[in-house]
Amino acid sequence: MFVKVLYFGRLKEIAGSAEESVEVRDGERIEELFARCSSSRPELRKFRSSLVAARNREFAAWDTALSGGDEVGFLPPVSGG
Amino acid sequence: MTASHSQDRIELTREIIPNAAIACEVRADEDGAVATFDGCVRNHSHGRSTLYLEYEAYESMALAKMREIAEHVHRSLAINRVAIIHRLGRLEIGETSVFIAVSAAHRAAAFDACRYAIDALKKTVPIWKKEFFADGAVWADGEVPPSPAAAETPAAKPASN
Repeated sequence: MFVKVLYFGRLKEIAGSAEESVEVRDGERIEELFARCSSSRPELRKFRSSLVAARNREFAAWDTALSGGDEVGFLPPVSGG
Repeated sequence: MTASHSQDRIELTREIIPNAAIACEVRADEDGAVATFDGCVRNHSHGRSTLYLEYEAYESMALAKMREIAEHVHRSLAINRVAIIHRLGRLEIGETSVFIAVSAAHRAAAFDACRYAIDALKKTVPIWKKEFFADGAVWADGEVPPSPAAAETPAAKPASN
């Protein structure tokens, strides 16, 4: 199954794209998805501790299990206002 | 809770925010106060001269979070209407990046709601600011939104407390 992954802010620059479709196994957790996405981009891993995850436009715990078609955002610290 | 929710104005925009018009728009005959917050682009940051800013957002989630903020102040304070408008894209020095207006029968609720809305926006709305200086650009240090506890309770758990 596939999920849509979104990158924002400095993460987008490091990832080199704003959005990608990633194949995951059934029940894969967000933490594992991040490891998968950062395996080819070690720079991303350095930011893991400052990130929060979102699943389908809601903040989500890193151990949240994914379903096909989910939209997952990796969000750096926010700085609106 | 009341019809007032439908009169709220929650937006992301790439145009100049019409502050004065929005402040007028939230006011109705039953209101005795309008409190506004005008967040604008400062010409310096950490001792460096800022040239301009660029804002980007996770737009669908940002709008959802801004609506949650409006709903929260409707539930917790005796207010009438709420407007929360955030600008995206390139902003010049002195321009408004975020404008919040709250109307209420009495001033205390309007002030409190306005203060809550900007504080919550800065903590929970997925918007990011890049600061451009003469010698380079940096993503602003931001706030880490409160993370849900490790658990799988999709709907019941609020994002913040």
